[in-house]
Amino acid sequence: MASKHSNWPNPAEAPALDDLAKCVHCGLCVNSCPTYAVTGLEVESPRGRIYLARAVEEGRIELTAAVQGHWDLCLQCRACEAVCPSGVPYGRIMEHARAQLDTAASTGRGGRRLRKFLLRRVLARPRILAAAVTPVRWLANSPLRGIGRRTRLLRLGPALARGEAQLPRHIGKPLRAGDSLPAVLGASETAVLFTGCVMGEVFGDVHRATARVLARQGVAAIASAGQGCCGALHAHAGDLAFARELARRNIDALAGTAPAPIVVNSAGCGAAMKEYGDILSGDTAYAARAREFAARVRDFTEYAAALAEQPAASFPARVTYQDPCHLAHAQRIREQPRNLLRTIDGCDLVETPGADLCCGAAGLYSLVQPAMSAELRSRKASQFRDAAPDVIVTANPGCQLQYEAAVREAGITARVMHIAELLDEAQSAAADSS
Amino acid sequence: MTTRRELVGGLSRICGDANVLWRPEDLLVYEFDGTIERSAPYAVVFPANTEEVAEVVRLCNALGVAITPRGAGTGLSGGSVPARRGVVIATARMRRILEIDPANRIAVVEPGLPNIQLSEAAAVHGLFYAPDPSSQKACTIGGNVAENAGGPHCLALGVTTNHVLGLEVVTAAGDITWLGGHVADTPGYDLRGAFIGSEGTLGIATKVVVRLLPLPASIVTLLAIFDTIEQASHTVSSIIAAGMIPAAMEMMDRTTLQAAEAGLQCGYPPDAGAVLLVELDGIADVVEPQATSARAACMENGAKEVRVARDAATRELLWKGRKGAIGSLGRIAPNYYILDGVVPRSKLVEVMARVGEVSERYGLPIANVFHAGDGNLHPCIAFDEREPGATKRVLEAGAEIMRACVDAGGSLSGEHGIGFEKQQFMPWLYSETDLDNMGRLRGVFGNSGGFNPCKLLPGGTGCGEMAHNDAAIRAAGPDAFV
Repeated sequence: MASKHSNWPNPAEAPALDDLAKCVHCGLCVNSCPTYAVTGLEVESPRGRIYLARAVEEGRIELTAAVQGHWDLCLQCRACEAVCPSGVPYGRIMEHARAQLDTAASTGRGGRRLRKFLLRRVLARPRILAAAVTPVRWLANSPLRGIGRRTRLLRLGPALARGEAQLPRHIGKPLRAGDSLPAVLGASETAVLFTGCVMGEVFGDVHRATARVLARQGVAAIASAGQGCCGALHAHAGDLAFARELARRNIDALAGTAPAPIVVNSAGCGAAMKEYGDILSGDTAYAARAREFAARVRDFTEYAAALAEQPAASFPARVTYQDPCHLAHAQRIREQPRNLLRTIDGCDLVETPGADLCCGAAGLYSLVQPAMSAELRSRKASQFRDAAPDVIVTANPGCQLQYEAAVREAGITARVMHIAELLDEAQSAAADSS
Repeated sequence: MTTRRELVGGLSRICGDANVLWRPEDLLVYEFDGTIERSAPYAVVFPANTEEVAEVVRLCNALGVAITPRGAGTGLSGGSVPARRGVVIATARMRRILEIDPANRIAVVEPGLPNIQLSEAAAVHGLFYAPDPSSQKACTIGGNVAENAGGPHCLALGVTTNHVLGLEVVTAAGDITWLGGHVADTPGYDLRGAFIGSEGTLGIATKVVVRLLPLPASIVTLLAIFDTIEQASHTVSSIIAAGMIPAAMEMMDRTTLQAAEAGLQCGYPPDAGAVLLVELDGIADVVEPQATSARAACMENGAKEVRVARDAATRELLWKGRKGAIGSLGRIAPNYYILDGVVPRSKLVEVMARVGEVSERYGLPIANVFHAGDGNLHPCIAFDEREPGATKRVLEAGAEIMRACVDAGGSLSGEHGIGFEKQQFMPWLYSETDLDNMGRLRGVFGNSGGFNPCKLLPGGTGCGEMAHNDAAIRAAGPDAFV
């Protein structure tokens, strides 16, 4: 039936036919897909999106605006991949499918150009990113924000209100590559703390909490210089060439620290870095080094749960854990974070339905697909209203911001925390009381 | 004659523009289900309620356009593939649980509800819905009704028809009617029974009244590991002969369990020749002695090892491999053709030998999964449709296996339905008079040939050329006649 040539505009980066052919359209994935759950449409399901890619590959259809729309609506949460019995590498297929869209004559090019600019020129450049985040930090922490919300000035522009809603409650001091972390006396191991891009600028507090938790477990964390953006968002957007470039930079920057583990507290970054071997498999100079690098990468929860030293911790509260997609589905890490929470004194871990269903943050998704993102956030908000937790805990920065917005939407007072922050508070509370 | 523009316009007036698909790219993903037949519709429509379904049916009838109902599209006999194109009526927007009545242990649901969501909602009341097709995370109750779906746990509890009390139906004529009711017995002809398993040829169920059962107090699952299929088959007979009716008794051959283990890491031994999953449930005082004798039966028939799961997590892991087994065959080849034959339990070994012989003669790997307790086999032929002539050879091999089942005194379908692919085999089982009588039932519901055409019964016009029809899709502009 492959009677015609493929209709890929960028054949060099096209999804591999072998990957596409793994899908036997059994349909077991469809209900794991958030966009299918919302729309009920086969074209907005993983099986449908793969089928369309296969049809483009086989020259049955052109890469039309409608097809692009269906791919653009994908959150790349990879929930389908985790339940697929055939082992279809959906995440990889979608990255290559997205790589076609820049070249395709299509709708939404303006948005894609802006995204590419932000990804290449801002996220990947530490100094520019720092300069860009500084006024945002000032704004987020400013009393003006509360005034703006109370006086409804923000309602002047929906974009303004949306932007404000996505700002964190408070942005602490940054923690960047090369910054020093407190020394740990008698440490049994050294681990590289992956500082990232936005993570280091906006979530410096989470990095410091991570380092303190590791220190109590006998591990000295170092924020090695030279490391930078992991390239996950670039790959998701289909800018694979640049994602490879960023991967090579990190591999070079952290070569001197081998074989120390690379601990990542952002699930999206960790998932991408564990796949460096995959995205650089065609690069003869880097393929082997990329595989070695990937083998050193550990999610913070995966690493912390496996350490022998588990300090006493106390946190009397009703806590719900929400799985970051790229931790549960891409890295298949579900139990470790829950186990870490279960061992805390007084921590009442409550499960909500769909804890592993995407919250709609999904990297830049909330900016480019606001309607679907808001629908998924509202679903979380209503689950939070029902479960009434004191604390919502997760392990990825994007999810954290989305949950803060969901909490405001639900009209409840729950705190949103990164699991490293919760562990840090719980351990320090236990140490104070003993 | 009517044009596509008129058809889409009419559907949009009933259900709204947003609930009608007509772009060729969008229609493409409605050309398949879980099997290998393909044919894309002219339009897909998503009605919100019974009245809209009825209006759509009447419109299509008035325009002379074929109708094919569709749930989640996970079927395994081409039942939801629009063989003569026309309109697909999808139930995706009708997926609410309308009522759960724990005191009377019934629920009323819409047809688009995924099977698993019914059991999840019932679990709050300590109840569950028994039929559990392996695709239960995706497949819908409406589709289950159409195919009279079974599942691993139907051995002791029976299939869909044993768990549906009543149905609200939009008939092929476009009338709204109730079959059966909310209680176990209703007087008059059992049209509910006739409708369940009619494969979407009599109408579309729009409300389904189901029976719920109390969750068992105690469950023990055994995984017995054997060197050969024969040993496992004899064990099945020994367990039944000992007077037990396990909740489930499932067998997998080596090819299947290797694929499932690779795909799902469920702890299956990849070097075994066959494994048997036996699940016993009920009150603990009954289950425990049964588990002991089932284990003994396994060992007497040569089991190398018997693992016992008593907690939910371990049990789920053992089942995960079984439920994902078919999908995991994507690891062996890009396509599979799954068969659904039934044989008397005593002929299992003999028929399996013929399956092995067909596999060798055609040079096609065949993986085998069985609901062994029921004698329901699922041989899966693995192939790559991109190889010229492959699909044709696979269908021939499949026909030979079906013939072997019928020759052994069995049947053409345990639970997947006859659909498109097996309708021409029906005369192996039924006389012309038998088939005529069944055909007349269609007329009673107002189906004169255009309601899910080319399914279940042999014959029908224009059913021969169901195939990839891209050229036709592209050629059919908005003003082309449908």
